[in-house]
Amino acid sequence: MGLPSLSLIAQSVLSGVFIGALYGLLGLGLSLSWGLLRQINLAHFALAFLAAYLCYQLSTVGGIDPLLTLVVIVPGFFALGVAMQWLFARFEITAFNSLLVTFGLTVIVESLIQSIWTADFRRLESTYGNAKFKLGFLYIPAPELLTLVLSLSLAFSMWAALRYTDIGKALRAAAEDGPIATAFGVNRQALALLLSGACAALAGVAGVCIALSYTLAPAQIYGWIGVVFAAVMMGGLGRPLGPIVAGIVIGVSESVTMALTSPSWAPLVSFSLLIVVLLVRPSRV
Amino acid sequence: MLELRSVEARYGAAVALRDISLSVGPADLVSIVGPNGAGKTTLINVIAGIHRAAAGTMTLGTRDLTRLPAWRFCDEGVAIVPEGRHLFTSMTVRENLELGSYRSEAKASRRESLERVASMFPPLAEWLDRPAGTLSGGQQQMAAIARALMARPRVLLLDEPSLGLAPVIVLELFKIIRRVNAEGVAVLLVEQNVAMALDIATRAYVLEQGRIVAEGAPDALMREPRLRAAYLGADAPGAAGAAASL
Amino acid sequence: MNRVYAALAIAGALLAAVPLLGLPLFYESFCYLVFHWIVLATSWNILSGYSGYFSFGHGAFFGAGMYTTATLASRFDVPFLWTLPAAALVAVLLGLALGAVVFRVRGVRGELFALVTLAFTFVVGTIILNTRIDGGPGIYLSAVPIPKIGPSPASTFYLLGLAAALATLAIAYGIYRSRLGVGLFAIHDDEDVAEVLGVPTFRCKMVAFGVSCGLAAIAGGIHALFISYVTAGDTFTITVPLTVVLMSVLGGTRHWAGPAVGATIITALLYAFTAGDHAIAGKAVFGGVLIAVILFMPQGVLGTLVARRRKRRASAVPVPAADAMMETRPPREARPIGPERILVAHGIRKAFRGVRALERVDIDVREGEILGLVGPNGSGKSTFVNLVSGHYRPDGGELVFAGEDIAHHDAHWIARAGVARTYQIPRPFEHLTVLDNVAVPAMFGAAHLDRDAALREARRWLEFTGLADKAEWLPEDLNLHQRKFLELARALASRPRLLLLDEVLSGLTPTEIDGAIRLIRRIRDEGATIVFVEHVMRAVWALTDRIVVLDHGQVIAEGTAEEVMGRSDVVTAFLGKAHA
Repeated sequence: MGLPSLSLIAQSVLSGVFIGALYGLLGLGLSLSWGLLRQINLAHFALAFLAAYLCYQLSTVGGIDPLLTLVVIVPGFFALGVAMQWLFARFEITAFNSLLVTFGLTVIVESLIQSIWTADFRRLESTYGNAKFKLGFLYIPAPELLTLVLSLSLAFSMWAALRYTDIGKALRAAAEDGPIATAFGVNRQALALLLSGACAALAGVAGVCIALSYTLAPAQIYGWIGVVFAAVMMGGLGRPLGPIVAGIVIGVSESVTMALTSPSWAPLVSFSLLIVVLLVRPSRV
Repeated sequence: MLELRSVEARYGAAVALRDISLSVGPADLVSIVGPNGAGKTTLINVIAGIHRAAAGTMTLGTRDLTRLPAWRFCDEGVAIVPEGRHLFTSMTVRENLELGSYRSEAKASRRESLERVASMFPPLAEWLDRPAGTLSGGQQQMAAIARALMARPRVLLLDEPSLGLAPVIVLELFKIIRRVNAEGVAVLLVEQNVAMALDIATRAYVLEQGRIVAEGAPDALMREPRLRAAYLGADAPGAAGAAASL
Repeated sequence: MNRVYAALAIAGALLAAVPLLGLPLFYESFCYLVFHWIVLATSWNILSGYSGYFSFGHGAFFGAGMYTTATLASRFDVPFLWTLPAAALVAVLLGLALGAVVFRVRGVRGELFALVTLAFTFVVGTIILNTRIDGGPGIYLSAVPIPKIGPSPASTFYLLGLAAALATLAIAYGIYRSRLGVGLFAIHDDEDVAEVLGVPTFRCKMVAFGVSCGLAAIAGGIHALFISYVTAGDTFTITVPLTVVLMSVLGGTRHWAGPAVGATIITALLYAFTAGDHAIAGKAVFGGVLIAVILFMPQGVLGTLVARRRKRRASAVPVPAADAMMETRPPREARPIGPERILVAHGIRKAFRGVRALERVDIDVREGEILGLVGPNGSGKSTFVNLVSGHYRPDGGELVFAGEDIAHHDAHWIARAGVARTYQIPRPFEHLTVLDNVAVPAMFGAAHLDRDAALREARRWLEFTGLADKAEWLPEDLNLHQRKFLELARALASRPRLLLLDEVLSGLTPTEIDGAIRLIRRIRDEGATIVFVEHVMRAVWALTDRIVVLDHGQVIAEGTAEEVMGRSDVVTAFLGKAHA
């Protein structure tokens, strides 16, 4: 096989950027709750898919514009996130146990999804879904572009919030030294509820993006876990810009690998990168 | 103004503080001295709300602090400079100061407070945008005091401020503490450096094994045999002569 | 023969007779699945449950076993039963290779280890999928002849599964009762302390990991023939690890039989639900069970039962201390201090992130003496103890113990050589009984006793420190004084030549201090050299032969207590100087 053409490589890089943006969007909420609350929320993926199915339902059956479903999904999922955090705090769940409990939640949500929507593939048909732009020889699908825009803007917003607002600084301080932050008036329980809600809302947004670009099936929840964890850990926990940067790096390396060899080699790239990062800089995490 | 009555504190089943009663008036500079393991840090942490009192009462002015949730203590006017500084090292000095004035009343006058501490600690202005972890020990101590002052406290708590610092810096530090007190903030100071602690205090307490064993005016305490005993060992033959050399 | 092995043998014999009953196919296949998961969960637990290193990579080794068998049996026509040891070998080598890298990196524990092993699974799976090992279509084993062990193929698998399950349980039990098991449980609670007490942590983890991988591979090999078609996509996923985690957590990870209990319950539940119309609801119940277990029974079914039984035993009437096995030693004559220097520290330097903790420190310790190490807070005393015991390596200078340079050795080597220490804030193994806490150094320290001798030795030291009636208690039930004495008993149980006591008296009442002083004198009389870091000056006066004074990381004075404490610079260091 000869070397692929420049346009193929360029298109691969672009699609790598797009999928990386989705990894980043999925990873954003995960990274923030892991880094700032010391909770590994496996249920993040289940929540995203729940949002994806809800978007599908409201849009296909209810006739609502997919983007408008965000109006319902964002506050609804915020509330879900608050409820989950309340549960965690009430039972004093440690970092490792949170992994196990959220796995249980994931399985429950997956069953819920399967019982309502069955295991059949579901595809959200929308005007956005089929729209494409053309930039020179590059094809830019509208949903993917939307995902990229949302991902970047949300990552930047969270970064700015953590950096410049009082609440953001309080969150960072509480994550570094809880008792001293408390001594200066930071109400850690209230902030934890707020952050959890925000992370769940982010999962909701990611779900809508997934619904726009992908065909849905309940078992797919698990397919994203590995690569998003890789993006989160490579980006550094608790750093809002980390997952999207790492996600794009992973996405581009995956799709270029796919273009040069075959699609099934892609996971090797992301996971080898993850292993290297974990071994070389474990303290970073 | 700050009153503790029969306060008791525990770690699990072990009693760390027993029957502690003390008071700090609005213009007081109170020192608490005592050997290691006496419970000095526990006491400061109880007053700051970091550690819950198991028994007894704590009042500040008219407010009862005893059952308040930990994060409300700062609101009431208590600010702490913890042992080992405990700055938020991943954040800049400026952000640390801003955190100091996180509570709502202090937030309103944040800019003014920032100017005040900048004038009190002139070198601080240069390091405002450096990560707090890159400062030296003495600089960190200054920053930690500035952070506590940003909270506009009525009572400033200092836990072993001289720890790990060179003597010449300790001198500067205690001058600053005096100045803070002169400007109207009550100070409660816990120290291992007995001489300096008693030198600047208006009143002092001696803590040993979780109890207050002596209290009163600093010069009287300096001559107290219990103080020497607590530090140098009761049956130490050289102790009497050694302490007399202070 | 040991009761448990006998029970396993009897159960095995009984169960092996079941195929002769001619039950319907379904029952034998169901039992095979139960055995299959017992092997997987129990083998996982050997590393992850015992040592706390939760691996999410069990699927990689299970899959390696499946593929080895599939490849050898269908491509190279190797008889099926011979492929099983080969499968085990491949997985063990793979696991040891991974372990050699990962266990050496200090920061990788807990969640990180889980994720590295998960990532490893996907890497291995991808490689297998894309190379000629699989290449995409998977491997069929339908042409592979099934050995005729039982009356039917289903019973053959039943018997193979039964054999594997019995072997795995026997191995898990054997490790649980062995020195390796004690070491793994110590690592679980506090790896750094275990290392300092003499447990060769790297070696223990590697052995446990290797055994775990090998057994998983055997289960994989058998399963490959059972389902007769292997694909990478179904094998190298998160399913196997998550299932074994759930089974082990449900049954109890701290017990050798816990995972087996969990495996049986879960497999039964799965069959009850997924076989019928309620597959989806069944999955939801699955998730709910996991959550409920974590929230309400974090120790698992067996763990909770064992804990309850221990509580009952601990509150029972204590065995009278005068046990025939224990000889009370007559107090020896006070030994003269020898001329030999047991520890020589020369030019020691240590800095932490730019802060100099110790600078050009020279300290000699003579054999048989009690050397006091005093100084104000932050002067470097604890750092010195940490260096000598091997917690840290010095940045510069020499550290020679009994003629050996210890600066470059692992902490467990230093412990075996005869150095023991206590911690300023006691760090007992929270999930081990008081007796087991003291037995660990007896097993792994200089004395290096076997399990039974170590337990006897541990009882002796509990006697010595007055904790004999609390042998079955957990450390959380002790007060501060008792915890300090537990620290002391633990340090003594390894029969050290050099004992480092780090502020062992702080927080004690005067009466307790008096008792401690008497105890420490007796310890020296038994032949140990002691370096005694203290703030309680009364004890320093009473006990020490010599004192070294540290201030700001440097030695400022050295000599007898009288000589040193009379010097004004020393007093100044302690009490500070007043400036008007």
